[in-house]
This record gives sequence, structure tokens and C-alpha cells, in this order.
Amino acid sequence: MKKPSLHPLTWWIWSGLLAIAVVRFQSTALTLLCVGAVAGLVFWLREDAPWGRSFSWTLKLAIWILLIRTVIGMLIGVPIPGNTVLTLPIVQLPSWMPGIRIGGAVTSERLTSAISEGILICAIILIFGAAASLTSPHRLLRTLPVYVYEFGVSIVIATSALPQLVTAASRIRQAQLLRGQSLRGFKSWKRIAIPLLEESLARSLDLAAAMDSRGYGISSKRSRYRPIKWSFLDSFVIISAIAVVGVS
Amino acid sequence: MIKFSNVSLIYPNSTTTVLEDLNLEIAEGEMVLVIGPTGSGKSSLLRLINGLVPHHTGGILAGDVSVDGLSTQLVKPGGLSHLIGIVGQNPLNGFVTDTVEEELAFGMENLNLPNDFMRKRVEEILDLLSLAPLRNRTIATLSGGEQQRVAIGAALVMHPKVLVLDEPTSALDPIAAEEVLSILQRLVHDLSLTVVIAEHKLERVIQFADRIVYINGQGETKIGSTEQIMIDSPIAPPIVELARALGLQEIGTTVREMRRMTQDLRDKKYQSVEPKNSSSKSLRIKIDSLSVSYPGHVAIKNFTTNISSNEIVALMGRNGAGKSSLLKAIAGISQHNKGTVDVSGVDPQSLKGKSRRESIGYISQEPSDLLYGQSVSSECEQADSDNEVKPGTTAALLEQLVPGVSGHTHPRDLSEGQRLGLALSVVLSSNPQVLILDEPTRGLDYQAKRELLSILVSFAKRYDKCVVLATHDVELVAELATRVIFIADGEKVADGTTLDVLLSSPAFAPQVAKVMSPHPWLRVRDVTAAIEIS
Repeated sequence: MKKPSLHPLTWWIWSGLLAIAVVRFQSTALTLLCVGAVAGLVFWLREDAPWGRSFSWTLKLAIWILLIRTVIGMLIGVPIPGNTVLTLPIVQLPSWMPGIRIGGAVTSERLTSAISEGILICAIILIFGAAASLTSPHRLLRTLPVYVYEFGVSIVIATSALPQLVTAASRIRQAQLLRGQSLRGFKSWKRIAIPLLEESLARSLDLAAAMDSRGYGISSKRSRYRPIKWSFLDSFVIISAIAVVGVS
Repeated sequence: MIKFSNVSLIYPNSTTTVLEDLNLEIAEGEMVLVIGPTGSGKSSLLRLINGLVPHHTGGILAGDVSVDGLSTQLVKPGGLSHLIGIVGQNPLNGFVTDTVEEELAFGMENLNLPNDFMRKRVEEILDLLSLAPLRNRTIATLSGGEQQRVAIGAALVMHPKVLVLDEPTSALDPIAAEEVLSILQRLVHDLSLTVVIAEHKLERVIQFADRIVYINGQGETKIGSTEQIMIDSPIAPPIVELARALGLQEIGTTVREMRRMTQDLRDKKYQSVEPKNSSSKSLRIKIDSLSVSYPGHVAIKNFTTNISSNEIVALMGRNGAGKSSLLKAIAGISQHNKGTVDVSGVDPQSLKGKSRRESIGYISQEPSDLLYGQSVSSECEQADSDNEVKPGTTAALLEQLVPGVSGHTHPRDLSEGQRLGLALSVVLSSNPQVLILDEPTRGLDYQAKRELLSILVSFAKRYDKCVVLATHDVELVAELATRVIFIADGEKVADGTTLDVLLSSPAFAPQVAKVMSPHPWLRVRDVTAAIEIS
């Protein structure tokens, strides 16, 4: 089946609406359902392009954030009464910090609240990550009006650099593995980050120079070769998202 | 058409001038080739033409550059976009849109040209560059030659009077390079387009050039006709080296000219020079019915071969034929679905850390991927301590490969050749049994290539190791390899000695072989050796 081609703004508006809905749900189950649907949609619709592959990285990031958020939520915060699951040692805080404590009894209520808050944050990250991986940054640029020229250049550089960074990172990782370096710890992070940063800088400069020499921003008006049209399918996607917000 | 008057250029925070007092006039319909060692300022000269230097890069420009009467000091690069088309070294970095059609239209959209006008122009270019079947393809999925053609098309669609190309064939296989260059040749003749090209692989472009600008690296330039410059240029393609070695009166730059000049020589009878049988060999790499596939396509199909020590094997084939996939499988970084790979008796995928370094050295297409140090010396020290060798070993290796690199230099500031040298010495410091190189000569000038050559030959011969490299550079293969494996669409098409494989395919034959055919000589030294014996 041919994948439908949508207006580049559609998925971003859709993400915004879904994020509102997820915040209003106040229900972990519904949020998870929503994230599941979004992930399914991404794996079905994404193109075989650098930005299409960025979603799995967003997924990893979200899982990390969930873990960290849960641990912090268990350690720090206002005590919530309930069934104690385990008790951690309490750190004594000065008297001018009433109501806050670090450590202490971890109740099951507290655990669920920490996890559900973490899931909410991750859900929002994933929803916007989905929009980023479903929309080509180049096509997005084409919808921008020319009078935001300088802004447009920085946007295209940022958005096209990020997914390409993902591909470059895995290539550099591979090269470092071949040098026989272990890829654990802070030092290995530096080993990948430095060549990556250099490459993305060079790449961005190349792109900016190419855009400049092809007359980007020269004319205050800009014609469209094949204008990006808002189609029925776009409206359908947006209306479905509005419906979800309405239900929440 | 293009006029450089008393142009001098210096970059900020630099003490050396890139160009000094350059005076050059390029007429309409001329094809000018810019040559010089790496880092000599060829790209700067090209980018001066449309004002990217200094508007985009900074730097102080004295004198004036004007194109069709417009001075680049007064008009910014964007304002010259209808007049000058510029294609950068790596076209993929300069693409703004996703699909071929949109990319072609981008420049015209910027100038707010009406829609029906754009449609007409795009169709015209699609036909001219035979891009019509690709019109709706995503650019990222095209092959290197196709991408280069799209980049040229995107420049030509503006109907420029000047086309500027920075190393247009460096990443292309010989056939794709031929395609691109013959299109340029046709444009010069049909439309009287003015073309300025910088290129290291002179053997590919020299026959098309009207004039040559030689930059020596200290800012001095020399301008003249192809023959004038080639008579004493330190940078010369094999065909010119041949003319010099034979002591010919004139210098021919095309195979046809050279064949005419060497008619008598070729008619004589020569004793065949027996190739020396190389010494004892031991099996190093064993590949048995290997298949590698990625989602969507099969990269390597049922590949079987053995590679021994003392061998230098060149993998050749068109862009996307599966050369890199095969190298990665040998290095053990890609998952293969079928078959086995065995390097010095072990599966390379299981190698880790020190034992990996000691059995396989791998240099990818981007040698800088391996480097992360803040200076050359810290990079060398890191390699020494990683490999537990005597401090200074890597630095000594580097000095041998590329003499005179300061230890304080940041790896990023090295030239392409020096960076490759650094990556090589880091990899060689662990003394691996097998060395793998993926496209090592991209962006290397003849001097750097000669150095690479001597390193690889001594590594294989003296230390009884084996080298496997993937390359498009026919001349390098002729000089270096003992054996060539030709791959097409993931399958082995030919496997034999360099002589047999290179002579059997006209597209992949080196210049000397084309001139001297039917004699089986690939290199200038083959010719001189045969003449000496007889």
C-alpha cells in the first residue's frame, strides 16, 4: 500500500492536540494506550529516511527519563500515607525545609504516583518524537514564509542536522568499536561526541553555503513548484485528534 | 566572463596567504581545471567566484573578482544565483529538499519564478541529464553518480553562465565519473557554458580542460594551456608521466594523442617480463558462501573467497555494488545472515578490545571517525597506551608516513592526506594481521597517494600481512594491488591478478594500459622495464 503523503504541519498539530489530551486524561492506562497507538502509527508510516529512524532513539530516551523520574519520585517528595513497600534511610534536612524529605518509607501509592507522572512526561516526549520522525524537516521548511528567512535557515540546519546526527553517531560508534575501544563510561561518550560535533558543524556550514548560493531569501516572495496542499486526509487526522481531546 | 584582478586572500587567524596577486580571465565557453596539492586553496578559489569567500567564510580579500561584470564585493552569493551554479565537494550536504524534482525547483522558487515557467525548466533539465526516471525518488536513496547529476541539474536549471564544480568525480566509480564529465563536455560545446573544475584525479578530467590553473600551496599560481602546465607540473596524471618517462617531444593528454605518438614504440616486439613469484603464503581470511542483507535489499550474495598473507586485494565495482558491506563483514561489524567469515582462525564478530586491534585494522570512508583527541600527540599517546607499546611508537610511525606533522595540531586542521596518515598510524601501531581500507584515496592528491602506496606495500610485503581495500581509483589499483575482485550487485564477477582483471574491462583499464594496448602493461614502470630488457 502506498503511504499517504500529508501536509508537513499536520503531524505537529496532531501531536500538540494529543499532548493536551494526554495531560487531561489523568489516566495512566489511557496514556499508555495513546502512546501505543502513536508508536504503532510511526512504525507503520515512517519513511526509510534519517528522520524516520530517529523514533527508536526517542524511545530509548523516554525509557531513561522514566527510570530516572521514578527513582527520584521515590526518594524525594512529600510523604504519601498508605501501604509501605520498603523503607529507605531518611536524610535529615534542616528545619527550614518542612514538608520535604529524602528517603523514608516508600508506599505503594507513592510508587504508583511516581510511575504515572513519569509515564506522562515520557508520553509527551514520544508524541512529539513521533511528529519529528513522520515529517521531513525539509518539507517543513518549505511551509515557512520567506520573511522569517534567518529563522528559517537556523530551523533547517537544526532539524536536518539532528536526524543525520543519529546516522553519523552509529557510524562513528562502529569505527570506535573497530579501534577496539570499549564503549562504556564517560570517556567513550567523549570519543563519540567530539567527531560527531565536528562533522555536524561542517555539514551545517555546507548546507548554509549551498542555500545561500542558490538564492535562498533573495526575494521577499517565493513561488511554489508543487504547492503543498491541505488535503482531506490532513483534516481527518486533525479532527481525530480533536475528538480525542474532546473525549478526555 | 570571470575576471580575477590582483586577487589576494588571507583567512582570519592565519599567517599564510591562500592566494597571492592572482590575475586570471576566463572567457565564455572555456573549461578551466584548477589543480594543486590538498589544502592549497583550490576550493577557496572556486568559492571566490560566487562570493561565498569571503561573504560566508570571512577573510580578507584584496583585489576584485567579477563575473559577467558584477563584482562579488557588491553582490552577495544569493544575488549571483541566476548567473553562477556551484556544486560543492559533497553534494549530499548541500541538498535542501527530499525529492529530485523539488531539489531542481528550489533555486527557482527562491527567485519567485512563475509556476509554469518552472515546470518547463525542470522538464528540460530532467531530459538533459537523463534524470526523468528518478524524478520522484528521495535523494538520500540515490547512488553517488545520480546524486552528483541531481546537484549539477539543480545548478543548471537556473540557466547559469558559469558552472563551478569542486571535485565532481572524487566519490564516483569510473563509469559514473565518465557520465558526469561527458555531460559537462556537452554543455560546454552546446551551450557555451563556462566551467571551472577542481579535481585531484587528473586522469579523469585532463582531456576535457582548455586551460589549467596550478596553485602551489604557498599562494602562487601558474596559469597556462594544458600542455604548458603539464610539461613540468609536479602533479601529473599517469599519461603525462608516461610521456615524460618515454622522453617524448610533446605531451599528450588524451589516449588518442598518446597512441599516435607511441605508434613506433608499440609496433616493436618485447620480451614478456615474468612476474616474480611471491614467497610463502599463509591463509588469513576465509569467506565461505557469505550473504549479507539489509531490510529491502541484499548487499552480498553467496560470496566465497580466500585471501592470504602478502596479498593486497582491491575490491572494485560500481557505487552500491556491495564493496563496503563485504569489508564490514570481514571486519565483523555487520551481522550476516548466511555463511562464515574467518580471520586468522577466529570469527571477527567475536573479537573485542586488544585482540581485535591485533588482528584487524579497519579504516572507514571517514578516517576522522577514529580520531577524538584534541591534538595529534595526544592521539598518538592514546594509541601507545592502548596497545601497550613503547611510548613514541605511533608518533614514529606517523613521522614515517607523513613527515613533518606538528604534534600540537588539532586533527581537524590536518589535510585529508595527513588525517588518513594519522588514522593509519593509530591503526598500524597495534600491528594488525589484516588491514582493511574503505575508499582510502578520496580527496588525496598524487603525492599523498604515493605515500599511502609505499606504506601499504611495505606493510604487506615486509611484515607478511594482508591488505584488503575497496576503491574506485583504477590507477591506485594498478600500482598497488596484487589481486582484484570485481563485484557487481553483491556477486563476484571477476577474481584474478590485477593484470588480468584490469585489462579485461575497458572502463576499468588504467591510462597506461589504454595507450599501450595490446601490450599487457598497467604502469609507467612496466613500460620502461619492458623497454630496458629488449
